[in-house]
Amino acid sequence: MYRTKIMFLTFTILALTTTSGIAEAKTEFNFWYGLKGYLGKQVAQVCDRFNASQDNYLIVCTGKGSYDQALQASIAAYRAKKHPHIMQGVDSSTATIMMSGAIYPAYQLMSDTGYNVDWDDYIGSIMNYYASSDGKLYSFPFNSSTPVMYYNADMYEKAGISGPAKTWDQFEEDLRSLKNAGIECPIAFSFYTWVHLDQYHYMHNEPISTRNNGFDGLDAELMFNKTSYVNHIKRLKRWHDEKLGSYAKNLFGIGTRESFATGKCGHYFGSIASHGTVLKTAKMQWNVAFVPHNKGTKPNNTVVGGSSLWAMKGFSNEEYKGVAAFFNFLRSHESQEFWSTVTGYVPVTKSAYDSLIAKGFYAKKEFAGREVAIESLTRTPPKPLSRGVRLGNYRQIKKILDEELEKMLMGKKSVQDALDNAVKRGNLQLRRFEKQYKGKSLP
Amino acid sequence: MIKRVIFKNQRLPYLLILPELLIILVFFYWPSIQAIFWSLTLEPPFGGPAQWVGLDNFRELLDSEEYYSSAGVTLLFAFWTTLISMGSALILALFVDRVIRGLVAYRAILMWPYAIAAPAVAVAFQFIFQPGVGFFAFLNDIWPGIWDPSIDSYDALVMVIIAASWKSITYNFIFFLAGLQSIPKTFVEAAALDGADPIQRFFTIVFPLLSPTFFFLLVINVTDSFTEGFGIINVMTQGGPGGSTNILVYKLYQDGFIGLDLSSSSAQSVILMVLVILLTFIQFRWIERRIHYAE
Amino acid sequence: MIERTPILNAITHTVLGLGILIMCLPLLIVFVAATLPYEQVIDVPMTLIPGSELIVNFNKAWHRGDFSNLGLNSIVMTLGILIGKISLASLTAFTICYFNFRFRMFFFWLIFITLMLPLEVRIIPTYEVASNALLPFQKILESLYLTDLVFWLTGIEIGLQWNLLDTYWGLTLPLFASATATFLFRQFFLSIPEELAEAAKMDGSGPLRFFFDMVLPLAKTNIAALTVIMFVFGWNQYLWPLLITTDPDMRTLVMGLENLIPSEDELPEWNVTMAGTLLVMLPPVFVVMVLQNHFVKGLLGGDK
Repeated sequence: MYRTKIMFLTFTILALTTTSGIAEAKTEFNFWYGLKGYLGKQVAQVCDRFNASQDNYLIVCTGKGSYDQALQASIAAYRAKKHPHIMQGVDSSTATIMMSGAIYPAYQLMSDTGYNVDWDDYIGSIMNYYASSDGKLYSFPFNSSTPVMYYNADMYEKAGISGPAKTWDQFEEDLRSLKNAGIECPIAFSFYTWVHLDQYHYMHNEPISTRNNGFDGLDAELMFNKTSYVNHIKRLKRWHDEKLGSYAKNLFGIGTRESFATGKCGHYFGSIASHGTVLKTAKMQWNVAFVPHNKGTKPNNTVVGGSSLWAMKGFSNEEYKGVAAFFNFLRSHESQEFWSTVTGYVPVTKSAYDSLIAKGFYAKKEFAGREVAIESLTRTPPKPLSRGVRLGNYRQIKKILDEELEKMLMGKKSVQDALDNAVKRGNLQLRRFEKQYKGKSLP
Repeated sequence: MIKRVIFKNQRLPYLLILPELLIILVFFYWPSIQAIFWSLTLEPPFGGPAQWVGLDNFRELLDSEEYYSSAGVTLLFAFWTTLISMGSALILALFVDRVIRGLVAYRAILMWPYAIAAPAVAVAFQFIFQPGVGFFAFLNDIWPGIWDPSIDSYDALVMVIIAASWKSITYNFIFFLAGLQSIPKTFVEAAALDGADPIQRFFTIVFPLLSPTFFFLLVINVTDSFTEGFGIINVMTQGGPGGSTNILVYKLYQDGFIGLDLSSSSAQSVILMVLVILLTFIQFRWIERRIHYAE
Repeated sequence: MIERTPILNAITHTVLGLGILIMCLPLLIVFVAATLPYEQVIDVPMTLIPGSELIVNFNKAWHRGDFSNLGLNSIVMTLGILIGKISLASLTAFTICYFNFRFRMFFFWLIFITLMLPLEVRIIPTYEVASNALLPFQKILESLYLTDLVFWLTGIEIGLQWNLLDTYWGLTLPLFASATATFLFRQFFLSIPEELAEAAKMDGSGPLRFFFDMVLPLAKTNIAALTVIMFVFGWNQYLWPLLITTDPDMRTLVMGLENLIPSEDELPEWNVTMAGTLLVMLPPVFVVMVLQNHFVKGLLGGDK
């Protein structure tokens, strides 16, 4: 055993750091992704399709577990200089990755490798999330989704509700109608910050933080304890107190989606990406609709969720040509159609969407309703407060908010106290982020 | 201590001890030193230049309410798991000790939980404690909402405490039983002849003679609850709900790995290291001395 | 001594019966759940009568959890850790006992202190070292400017690299060192009669020969005891494999269990999860039950 170890050591020491390119037939590059299960298999399919479509480059795709695990793996690998060419980053990690100094911005990659990309073709509310303040795309939107409201049409019939509510007030009334009609669980809900914090603020043109949700500077401060979000949370609490719905966090595999899909609860708010999954399980009549807005406001667009692909620094030009080819492939209508077919994610370019409509894609039974997501994304052109967030350590901030809201639900704090504390703790996270990158600014 | 008869080679010992030394240097000491460095800076997740902040990370931790609440949860967790686990083990050991026939059989049956991995225990107990399925669903039917660890902090804490205690009963049981079996029967008989009943005998003879084992297990249990709890909590509750099962070691993992806050996580590591060192130190100094006395 | 304590005897048996029930009830529930079909396992309350789906569920768990792959990883990891730990610990203990060399006590304390640094408190930086195990040496070389010197002289840039992530080495190497095992061996070696070493020296055999021919055979029972303990320890490792593997193919069985927990995507097929739990539990439980005596000896430190 020791002998092997010494041999290994010697061998490694004698090896030079950079590997010179041995003349290979195809240029290989690596992509680490963080989607599991069925979705993970579909990603592998996308990779296979790329490899089959051309002869110059070979993409090697490895599933690294969940988003978190894939990101950790990429980070550890980057520190050891053994990172992949492409890594997948969930939307809330955008600011962290942008400031890391480890990535090769998408717009630069494409222009350096000679691709002429029509950036305006990208759906605005998707592209803005991942673009610099002057509109240059840093990472490639990959699996993009947006939240919708799933509703149980059978239950609507039973309670005499004609159609999905457009405003929160109407929605709450609908919940009561369902309850009165004898339905025990009108809604399965949680504090899902992506829907109730992020998208709520975007839709109502209210700030989650100062500095235009962080886009304008690292010195942003959280503000959601002063917006109408407070009332919205009070609303959710009301549903819980009046037993208009059941709070269903995903513990023990029974989350909001599960509760809805098995027909137990009448509504749930979730990503359009789950459209396919619900389709498989649900045995009742159901459909999707816009997420409601406050009465008297004209709602903005919702913003993309999901993840994007980042090119990482440190590789040869030849390999980057392959990466660019892959990104270009993903943009094609054909690839987007494939992705929209096998998953519930939406196409990311306007032209791809148009071509799908022209093909009658959304008229098909199994995909009907998904166009709601696109319409939600394009309801208005993105405004400064409906571009997304550019806040560092956002994942931590959301976890803090979740924790405070849970405490509130258990009766340990009032809504305002919980939100105040969340803002206080969250701001600490933002300050840490700012200090970490002292003297630097967001692109 | 060293043997009286030794070998005189000069270079061989260094060679022989080198493998283990290398491993602990690379995997124990280097990371620990690095943790100390990172705890004094703001280390960016992807590497690169780090800001020196001195003791700020520690200050922030000790200023934050959640750190104390996490410490509180850890203490609660340590206290209850130790109490339940050692208490049950002691009772079981006492009774098994009285059994003349079938001792080995009893011991065998009570021994197997040791072999189960923490996540397996967590998975099994998670199933058993589910509000929607299984035994507790039955309870929930009668009194709706009485049991729901996904939203009730007490339920969640109770659940992980029970799972963790159950897992360590065997370990304690074996030590207690061995301790009890090594008490000379003559002591007990003499006391009985003097007219002491079993309960009196327990307090005057058995417990004092058992005390070295007891204290040894006490420290082991407490130290272990800092660390063993991780597997169970990671699978069952991920520190929730509302941070009610967020023991220190889990918080450290969560902040570092998921929150990507390497520096705060390292500062937490350093604090934990100090605590563990203190505890282990107490064990070896104080307990060892008492054991030698008892013998 | 015969004492007539009928009440106490009755209590004894009751308590023991209760104890056994509590300790075994979870296993019973897991077992029953593993034998039920899906509809029965989500039934409220779940029946306690075993069904007939055990093999079916075993099969499902096996395939869904990729057990053949993960099982191999677990076996390699466990055996690796086992062999590594016992080899290193015995060798180190031997060196500390039978040689008097400079820094002997220093190294002894160095090893001792590691007892106070459980993995959980040094997770993050240990992970970083795992991505390049030669990093400490690289850094040392760099800080001594040796790398620059070599580059200047020869144009070769030294880059020490040894990535342990997602490798068998990574799963086992860092766990080779064990302060507890080292001390156990040391305790035992100290009790070996001096005459043996004297005889060996008079025979002219060197220390290594003494170690392999005389000391190790004497330590057989200790080694057997430690084997049981370390087997369970290695098999049940959770945190370290969790950190060091991101490639799903390199995961261990115990990690794989987590994947069998029903997620939002799927139906809550707990019967399959429980079947998987049983499978994962089998090897260590088997080892412990069959080698009970060795196990107890190992736990107690070999001196009871």
